Amino acid sequence: MVVYVEGVGMTKIDRHYDFSLKDLAAKAAFNAIDQAGGTDGIDYLIFSSSLASLQDSQLDSASYLALSLGLKGVRALNVEAGEASGLAAISVAKSLLESHQADKVLVVGAEKLNEFVSSKVYKQLQMLYDGDTKSFYNIGFAGEAALLMRLYMDTYNVDRETMSYWPALMHSNAKENPYAMLNFAIKPDKVAKSQILADPITLLDSYPLGDGAAAVILSNKDVAKSPIAKISAIESSTGYGSIELSDDPLQFDSLSDAYRRISNIADVSNIDFIEIHDSFTITAMIILETLGLANRGKAAELVSTGYFSPGGKGPAANLSGGLKARGHPLGATGVYQIVESSLQVSGKFPGIKLSNAKKGLVVSLNGLGSSAYVALVEEV
Amino acid sequence: MSMDLSISRFWRKKEIIYKLNGAKCKSCGKVHYPPKNACPYCGSRDLEYIELPRKGKLISYTTIYAIPEGARSQSPIYFGLIDLGITKITAELTDITDPSILKKDMEVEATLRKTQEDRDAGLIYYVLKFRPVLVQK
Repeated sequence: MVVYVEGVGMTKIDRHYDFSLKDLAAKAAFNAIDQAGGTDGIDYLIFSSSLASLQDSQLDSASYLALSLGLKGVRALNVEAGEASGLAAISVAKSLLESHQADKVLVVGAEKLNEFVSSKVYKQLQMLYDGDTKSFYNIGFAGEAALLMRLYMDTYNVDRETMSYWPALMHSNAKENPYAMLNFAIKPDKVAKSQILADPITLLDSYPLGDGAAAVILSNKDVAKSPIAKISAIESSTGYGSIELSDDPLQFDSLSDAYRRISNIADVSNIDFIEIHDSFTITAMIILETLGLANRGKAAELVSTGYFSPGGKGPAANLSGGLKARGHPLGATGVYQIVESSLQVSGKFPGIKLSNAKKGLVVSLNGLGSSAYVALVEEV
Repeated sequence: MSMDLSISRFWRKKEIIYKLNGAKCKSCGKVHYPPKNACPYCGSRDLEYIELPRKGKLISYTTIYAIPEGARSQSPIYFGLIDLGITKITAELTDITDPSILKKDMEVEATLRKTQEDRDAGLIYYVLKFRPVLVQK
């Protein structure tokens, strides 16, 4: 079943020292609410955040957010699925609408990653990975992805330089997006020369620690008045999420399952653009290959030839600038992706606009694929 | 540690952390580490605990500079994906005098090392890390 996007809002991703988590959430939510014609009829607030309890020292944050937004009395739920929280929240909202538990749902994703020093945040981000295997070590947030990147480059004989075209493309797209945290261009050769986080991953292979919020009002066909886009399908799956458990770590098993499931219920061919979870350059390459948009070991080369660039032969990838350059406020990211894709299919995206964009695919993961979500956003 | 230090958590995991106990599935035969409540490959609950080999070969490795709080004095941290033959594990690498010695297929072996200290309680937490196997000349 299809649900409609009636209002959207987002803040620029930045180090918002002067705004609290609730302030950011309110900016995005009020925008979405006002665009959708006010608070009347909102049955549910779904709040997506993964570190709110730690960064904001608050439990039951959805309920306190409801109060702060002037929505006391609304039904409210927190959804947490690590980095995939945003699309998980959209998925829960869609289920509520489909089952007629609700006719109108406000989904807000908000995250602050700048309340504490970065070494504390690295420790919090390590919780995205399997605590059974990783928690006794001091590997931070980039250690496991670094093992995967080296394995990929060794297995397929891909060099560092070729991998660097992805961050450059993301910055080039983000440059046009006023909501992006890093809206400036970089040349590919800058990537290898930037600070090493976990060899071979450098600072420019990774996402900036940013604060931000995004919101959408979703509704059923019965109540939708002037929707800007529709979410035709959303699917998910769970996976190993650890490279040592998988026999084939160079594909994300959860994403492969989720993609197969969405292909069974919707037409995901002839996609005009994709918004994917490029937490690291390597994550982007493996997502492109798992979706079959590039052959195994060939994603980086395709990126370097401009295949995924605006106007390229393939679907345009991350016109927002992606996690890499738009930014990745964890629990909010999936909601940003939905907002950006909805604006893209309605011709209102404030960054690079594709002419005649009708269909976009949104992909979100936690970690290295403990969970994966895929959503299809289409023009109304 | 990404999680806060906990005496009971370390005590509970002692067989896993110090004896390198993995689980072998009696149904599909695959081995995984550390033991989950059911086999991650076939879902069977019929698991037996086995001690894993303490020597293996590096499949992949990294030198980490983005170090989490509580371990910054140990920077850089080396971390590897290790093939133990019957299964693969990820573990911190230690006794690396120079990162350029890290190579694919390098032989490594388990050894007991400190991972963190609890400053307030004065407790020191140990884990198994892997070090290069010295080649006999």
